[in-house]
Amino acid sequence: MRKTKIEVVQSEYERKEQLRRRIYAVLPIISVALLLLLWFLASSAKDSNFPSPKDIVDRFILFLHKPIKDMSLLGHIWASLKRVFIALGVAWFLGISFGVFIGWNKKANALLGPMFTAFRSVPPLAWVPLMTMWFGTGEFPKVLIVFIGALMPVVVNTQAGIANVQKLYLDVGTIFNAKSRQMLFEIAIPSSLDAIFAGIRTSTSAGWMVVLAAEMLGGKSGVGFLITRGMDSGDYSLCLLSMICIGLVGALLAVITQVLERIICPWTAKKSS
Amino acid sequence: MSKKVDSAEKLTDEERILLVQSQKRHSDYQLTALSVIGVLGFLILWQIAVMLGWLPSRYVPMPSRVIQLFFAKWTDPNPDGATLGVNIIGSLQVALTGFGLAIVIGVPLGLLMGWFHAFDKFMRPIFEILRPIPPVSWIPITILWMGVGLKAKAFIVFFSAFVPCVINAYTGIKQTSPVLINFSKTCGASNFTIFYKIGIPSAMTMTFAGVRVALGNAWATLVAAEMLAASNGLGYMIQQGRQFARPDIIILGIVVIGAIGVLFTSLLAKIEDKVLGWKK
Amino acid sequence: MDSKKIKLKLKNISLSYIVKDKVFDAAVGVSMEVRDSEFLVILGPGRCGKSVLLNMIAGLEKPVEGHIRLDNEEIRGSDERIGMVFQKLALMPWKTVMENVEFGLKMKGLKKRDRREIAQKYIDLVGLQGFEKSYPNQLSGGMKQRVGIARAYTNNPEILLMDEPFGQLDAQTRYAMQDEVLRVWEAEKRTIIFVTNNIEEALYLADRIVLLTNCPARVKEIYDINLPRPRNTIDQEFLRLRKLISENTDLAL
Repeated sequence: MRKTKIEVVQSEYERKEQLRRRIYAVLPIISVALLLLLWFLASSAKDSNFPSPKDIVDRFILFLHKPIKDMSLLGHIWASLKRVFIALGVAWFLGISFGVFIGWNKKANALLGPMFTAFRSVPPLAWVPLMTMWFGTGEFPKVLIVFIGALMPVVVNTQAGIANVQKLYLDVGTIFNAKSRQMLFEIAIPSSLDAIFAGIRTSTSAGWMVVLAAEMLGGKSGVGFLITRGMDSGDYSLCLLSMICIGLVGALLAVITQVLERIICPWTAKKSS
Repeated sequence: MSKKVDSAEKLTDEERILLVQSQKRHSDYQLTALSVIGVLGFLILWQIAVMLGWLPSRYVPMPSRVIQLFFAKWTDPNPDGATLGVNIIGSLQVALTGFGLAIVIGVPLGLLMGWFHAFDKFMRPIFEILRPIPPVSWIPITILWMGVGLKAKAFIVFFSAFVPCVINAYTGIKQTSPVLINFSKTCGASNFTIFYKIGIPSAMTMTFAGVRVALGNAWATLVAAEMLAASNGLGYMIQQGRQFARPDIIILGIVVIGAIGVLFTSLLAKIEDKVLGWKK
Repeated sequence: MDSKKIKLKLKNISLSYIVKDKVFDAAVGVSMEVRDSEFLVILGPGRCGKSVLLNMIAGLEKPVEGHIRLDNEEIRGSDERIGMVFQKLALMPWKTVMENVEFGLKMKGLKKRDRREIAQKYIDLVGLQGFEKSYPNQLSGGMKQRVGIARAYTNNPEILLMDEPFGQLDAQTRYAMQDEVLRVWEAEKRTIIFVTNNIEEALYLADRIVLLTNCPARVKEIYDINLPRPRNTIDQEFLRLRKLISENTDLAL
């Protein structure tokens, strides 16, 4: 008799656990469903300008037939991406070099650091009016603004990484009589790669955001332009469609930078046996 | 013994302390001097460059001009329609409202999501979908929904500050030391008590880092929002500066925006020191 | 005979730290001699002074007074004739085993082929052949320390400093590593200065033991250990010495 009693208790616990796990699995589906429901309600309410999911799909198909400013959706996305890539490339090169310089050399940090901090405190977009006044509304000022937005996190993170190299590793260098230049390239920089990559990741997402805003403020191509175009002509489906694309591309960029990090720093990925 | 020979050159303890302290002070002075030279040098070079015509004065105002304008603009509403003070207050209002809301809603949300699994599973997908969309691109939808005005601007600012608060609070509480949690359980604490007394304090460092990022985001997004759709505020002032081809207004705006940003950062740092002082 | 030749001589070494406004003495007036090719163990309680002495010999810190002589010439700063194996695992995580081991030679400017040849010899000596391309985070604690030893040996030092190298290892690995280090030492004789806080370890390894006091460190006593190797830890003489040293050791509280 006693044996049966214990068996019952155990399976009750197991049943509870199973139920809990099932609820957990279902919850995300419920929340997404609720979100879609909300969206649907918002768009089908009376007098609502809010585009429904169907509107988005329609707009997407329409876009395939009718390019805007002679460019397909993909064309606009690529226009934005191109600006970002160029700006990121230059920002990474200059940013890492500068960051290493002021991270390694205390005097350079004291001399150049404060001015850099001052520039860094200005949101990248605040530069737009100045840049457009100086350089017009072409490609160059846009890329320049994205460059500024992307440069800051790279420098800050690189500088922090280099300045905070573990003394232990530098001691190893001292024991083996490494010259200063060797210490920098063999020890300080590799040891800071994770900080540098944190800067790269931040700069990528920052760059993507800045390019959109820059395009929204004046331009003829790019996803940000599509948003303002939609806004001005009351074509809200276009706005929402663009937003979705922006989100997707942003997520994709984040994944790509992660993959890049895995490739360049294999020792971070490998687990100890 | 060689000790006798050395003791003639040997310093007493106090002398050694003073020597080391003065060496440290000397190098500190050196670095501070370099910093001052760096900043002044930049300003002086800028001034000279414009005065000598290396940089076109139509496009690049002299620093002296900007400083002049700073003082003038407190009382002169031209040409953008508001004095400097009005613009500053306008911007601060929106930024701090959005920022404040973001902390009040975002941090608890992140903490709850990090602690209670059911809540996490429910909120996560919504969050992950909304996250990669940059706040700036929400602007047209927000305008559609709320019209052009304070509410719309505040919402966008809120959204940009909201995300880092949630993420950092979430990450922070997730890394609460399991040892502490288990210890509390052995003391008989309920789940909520552990959450409140152990989880939340452990999460504070990361949360503060998130709050710092949030403030930066809020300020940056505010500037963008004002440039796109507003009738006052520093971002608007800069746009107007461009409209009226007044680079000095633009630069003044940039400097004020940057200065306020620095102010925020140092204020936050002071608050963080007070609250998290025990961590040091 | 070379075994009695003095390789390294410390005379009156002192080091103090200045923390805030107080002077904190790590070592005061330490003098000792290290014989050529001997295995010298510096034994001391707690965390005071032992590592600091090694750091000074290695050139990582400068003594406030006193001097250090290698082969009767004074040395200052880091000297390439002195190598070191660290306590905290100081392998560079971004370099493979081979790259870590050949590091010293790379700093000297040797060509890749020559470096690899010498490094390979020591990788084989410590029994890690096959792991040349692995990263440190793929290795166990004992293996990592073996790489550290190979790395120090590859640079061909005359004196090898070992700063509690087995402190982070579990007991079994520790015993194995003690045998390892003796084996490598017998194969390639160098002067070794080994720091530990473990009496058994000291007795197991040392030709001579220098016992330090508690903070600030001073030389308390020097013991000559004349037991044959490999040593038996339950041998009567071993246990007698163990008791003798243990009673003489300051407690670190």
